[in-house]
Amino acid sequence: MQRRYHRQSRKPPEPLVLVEKIKGAMRLVALDGAAVQLGLQSGLTLADARARVPDLAAEAHDPHSDRQFLQRIAARLGRFTPMVALDHPDGLTLDMTGCMHLFADEAALLAQVRGAISLTLRHAFGGNAAAARARARYNTSNGDVRQLPVAALEIDAAALRALRRAGLYTIGDLAARSMAAIAARFGEAAVMRLRQILGEADAPIIPRRSLPALRFERRFAEPIARTDDALLVIEALLGAARIALEERKAGGRRFAVTFYRSDGVEQQLEVETSQPVRDAALVMRLLRERIDSLRDPLDPGFGFDAIVLAIVRSDPLVERQLDSEAAEASPQDSVAALIDRLSIRLGAENILRLAPRDSHIPESSQCTFPAMELPKQPKWPQPEPESLPRPLFLFDPPQPIEAVAEVPDGPPRRFRWRRATYHVQLSEGPERIAAEWWRRKAGYEPGKGGLTRDYYRIEDSDGRRYWIFRHGLYGETASPRWFLHGLFP
Amino acid sequence: MRFASLPQPLITAKVTAQGATAQGHLHEVHAAAADWAAATSFALTILGQTEGAKPEGAVLIIRVVRRSLPAFLLGAGLAGLGIAPERLLLAQARNALEMLRAGVEAARCQDVSAVLLEIWGRCPEWDLTASRRLALAAEKSGVSVLVLRGDADEQPSSAQTRWRVTSAPSVARAANAPGLPCIDAELLRQRGGPAGTRVRLEWDEKHGNFRPTANPATNDQAALSGAVVPLSGLRAGAAPLSPAIPQAA
Repeated sequence: MQRRYHRQSRKPPEPLVLVEKIKGAMRLVALDGAAVQLGLQSGLTLADARARVPDLAAEAHDPHSDRQFLQRIAARLGRFTPMVALDHPDGLTLDMTGCMHLFADEAALLAQVRGAISLTLRHAFGGNAAAARARARYNTSNGDVRQLPVAALEIDAAALRALRRAGLYTIGDLAARSMAAIAARFGEAAVMRLRQILGEADAPIIPRRSLPALRFERRFAEPIARTDDALLVIEALLGAARIALEERKAGGRRFAVTFYRSDGVEQQLEVETSQPVRDAALVMRLLRERIDSLRDPLDPGFGFDAIVLAIVRSDPLVERQLDSEAAEASPQDSVAALIDRLSIRLGAENILRLAPRDSHIPESSQCTFPAMELPKQPKWPQPEPESLPRPLFLFDPPQPIEAVAEVPDGPPRRFRWRRATYHVQLSEGPERIAAEWWRRKAGYEPGKGGLTRDYYRIEDSDGRRYWIFRHGLYGETASPRWFLHGLFP
Repeated sequence: MRFASLPQPLITAKVTAQGATAQGHLHEVHAAAADWAAATSFALTILGQTEGAKPEGAVLIIRVVRRSLPAFLLGAGLAGLGIAPERLLLAQARNALEMLRAGVEAARCQDVSAVLLEIWGRCPEWDLTASRRLALAAEKSGVSVLVLRGDADEQPSSAQTRWRVTSAPSVARAANAPGLPCIDAELLRQRGGPAGTRVRLEWDEKHGNFRPTANPATNDQAALSGAVVPLSGLRAGAAPLSPAIPQAA
């Protein structure tokens, strides 16, 4: 809840709740302290909550961003211990085994963690991850696990009710019973959980560990002022990166070069490739392109103090034996390399490929993808031999025209488009294309499936061929409109 | 004759010195906006049929985004022209200069089958230097480059050939249905060769290309000649051509 206001650095309104649509109603999923004080609880519908607290501030719950935020916090806590794990759904577990000697005591550690993430924290220490989790979430005042409520077992609601009905309210009550009986009644998982909380069993965590990002740095005794010299340094750094990448059997997908100028200004260049690469020459070429396409040229000023190459993203790349025939073609000449270069020049979103979509409506029968994201060419279905011709160009949206037809159901005699009149000489049709009624609500009922289109392939007096359609049959609509939808060669 | 059906000047010459490597060339096609589909289909089919064109290689279309007419290429329509939509790569540039630079970059890539640039209207960037750059890149890599000029006046350029393409009335089928695509192609200029031929081309479904119509009344006889005009000396410094006198078919 603090995520959003944390970033905007303004004070959140109080009381604040996060709501999500559950079972057709907006229900509270997270509440702040003020809301809890007012007696609201999660699961309540927003309408009920508003009835009780009229000035309640509500915002949409965004679990995805929350998870990302948690990941970022976890990355930041990596300096306390290498064993940081996400604790589903909204917590973090830090395994401090072997790291505690770096801090004076638990209170000092806690103060440092609080300093690192300026959020409201609920924390607990425990002998293992399960005990710590139970303590943090089901807080006891004196820190005795036996005083924790049975809810700390996190078993389903029916089992919890059964436990309470049997008069077992705390973990201590449960621990006094025979484990076999609990296992027979509530399953193996409940016993396992109980033993973990009591510290009798291990509760391993899966630490969130990432390979350290590859970072190569060169510092200079004297600032270098020529761009060409800087490029030479980058080439040397790329050579070092190549060895490191080979060890990892990986190739870089995104390379970032940061230039630290002696007056404190940082400049960053980034290049991205569609396939993982380790080849220094290829990356250098991309970098040169990037430098060429910069709006402000790379300005060394009084010189660069240091240059850092970071491989921000890498993908697995396994060496393959060169095909003796294909060996002639250098990788620089391949279409993938061209896509990379053009994507740097024009932007990745401007190099597109066509991909088919499963729809018979002409304008939604295909879509475009950035070629960078689609290294494999999309497979198009073979056109059926007897299928009707399709235009080469399609207008999206279709261009409205005014058409005059001889008979209501027939092809038009002439039409007006963009203030010009076209006389129809030849025509073929109609090719009837129904709307996708199954996508509409109650589309199977007559009149609710959307308008049918009647397509005509026509040729005007100048010999140009068009694809036009009447939107709606005469039974469906009183005055159907005409549209120009495509151009034939 | 393999290419007898094609307008002859589009058959690019072979460099015989190092085996049979086909040479890429720069061509220019002028068309009005209304004939855009005709011009594009003409361009795509001749690019696919110049000798040495890779039948599976990528076809790159580079254009400046136009807001006035929201038309886009339809994969099914391309497939109808015998070009698999998988091969198509669309590049959108912000201005003509960016487009020309990207065009040279693409023309240098040997794995590309053909490059098509769309230049609309008056374009000061499209000068002799820019076109020469493209022509040299095309010759070096063997990639055919075609520049579509929309609604534009003729300008000097170093293109090998310059065409004007318009839509032509098709031969009607039964029940007054439009027939196969027909286009009129006029050769405006050809480096080191005769120009001024007009030819009406009709789509040939059997072979998947444009062929001169069977009706000779609409064609110049010269363009239909069966003999091949030898176009080996295409470079400015090459040996002079043998006199290109078309023989009657």
